[in-house]
Amino acid sequence: MRWLRFLIGLILALTLHSLLDNFFPNALAFFNPYIILVVYYSMGGNLFGAIIAGVVAGLVQDAFSGAIFGLHAFALTVCAYLVAYVNSRLVLRGTLAFGLSLIGSVLLNEIVIYILVNILLKQRIDLFEQGVVVKTILTSIFGMLVYQMLSLFLSEEPIEATRRPSGW
Amino acid sequence: MQVAVERRPTLIFLIVLAVLLVLMTASTRTIRGVGETRTLFERTVMTLFSPVPKTVNRVGQNVSDAYHGYVDMRRSVAENVQLHRRLTELTTENLVLRQTHGDLSRMRALLNYSDQVSMPTVMAQAVMLDTGGRFKCVVIDRGSDEQVELNDPVVSATGLVGRVILTTKDLAKVQLVIDSNSAVGVLLERSRRQGIIKGDGRGMLTMQYVPAGTDVVVGDKVVTAGIDGIFPKGVPVARVTKVEEGKDLFKNVTCAPLADLSNLEELIVLRTRKVPDAVVRYGH
Repeated sequence: MRWLRFLIGLILALTLHSLLDNFFPNALAFFNPYIILVVYYSMGGNLFGAIIAGVVAGLVQDAFSGAIFGLHAFALTVCAYLVAYVNSRLVLRGTLAFGLSLIGSVLLNEIVIYILVNILLKQRIDLFEQGVVVKTILTSIFGMLVYQMLSLFLSEEPIEATRRPSGW
Repeated sequence: MQVAVERRPTLIFLIVLAVLLVLMTASTRTIRGVGETRTLFERTVMTLFSPVPKTVNRVGQNVSDAYHGYVDMRRSVAENVQLHRRLTELTTENLVLRQTHGDLSRMRALLNYSDQVSMPTVMAQAVMLDTGGRFKCVVIDRGSDEQVELNDPVVSATGLVGRVILTTKDLAKVQLVIDSNSAVGVLLERSRRQGIIKGDGRGMLTMQYVPAGTDVVVGDKVVTAGIDGIFPKGVPVARVTKVEEGKDLFKNVTCAPLADLSNLEELIVLRTRKVPDAVVRYGH
């Protein structure tokens, strides 16, 4: 059931991605629906599930974007793991906690991508700082709205945490 | 395996990152074997999820087409209304312009003609035209206030119309050349033979006193001779339409007036003043 919901979320994210590509080209430079899904899923605190979610969502994003294949998967996996790790130790619930997690994840995601692009392609990302700020704001606002709607109308909560001891 | 996975998520995490790093490296560098695998992997992911963007694109395209179709239809309807309105305006404008153009052409012809005639002229407009009655005449909108006088010749752009037989302050009556009481001294332009042209009362003219031996053929142009003291010389009057041998020493020459006397609009009154007052008095 968890994976079914994740799959539906992934299809919705891809749908949003396609819609934005169709009607607002370059909108994905300022908005990332996949990270909302990954953070939402990772809030459950399941480390393994978060890793899988990050990899799958990232690969789908990579497959349908012009990035290096694996770039977003790598960045999203890192974010998913960290969010799940924190949530496996702290009980973070509510829109604010989700929003903070999302903001941190977006920032981390962009930093990881920036570093990887620098290392692998030896390129600088133009207007990186501005892009990060805009993407963080837009993605966080949209993500929090989605979270709020799921909480209010569907009585939806992030996938129940499977609390387990750390793997270290 | 299941236990290992659940117990070592961080290890799995690192392994996954390593694999992804290899994938990324393969994307940026050509590595034998790995490149093909990466391509296959990417192609598989794309194939698995391709229905989503395809569907979105198809639905989006349909929605976009429907929206643009609706917008285009609304625009077309509005444009159609505008075009209809514009068509009506242009049709009206065209009618006015054609009218103006016709007027202008006639005026130009008249002015050219007026320039050729070295005498004072008065432009006039036909007010009433009577060619159906016994007397053929036209009333013009210029009278004695504009120095229009009795016996002033009246011409149109194409030929002689007649002469003024009555004036008021602001109107004048012109006897047409086709009137049966009208007589004009003329000559055949080609052979220079003179004669008198009279109206037959039926819209045609008869040139009288053309000697039997005169060289006259159908199509010859008849112009005023300037011998009657009323009409200046050289004004086009008619064109010969029929020539017959007469009973006497003269030919019967039938002519058609050059001026379209059934459709008179702008006219020129030629103020010749060549007729002596005594003759005028005698005429009256």
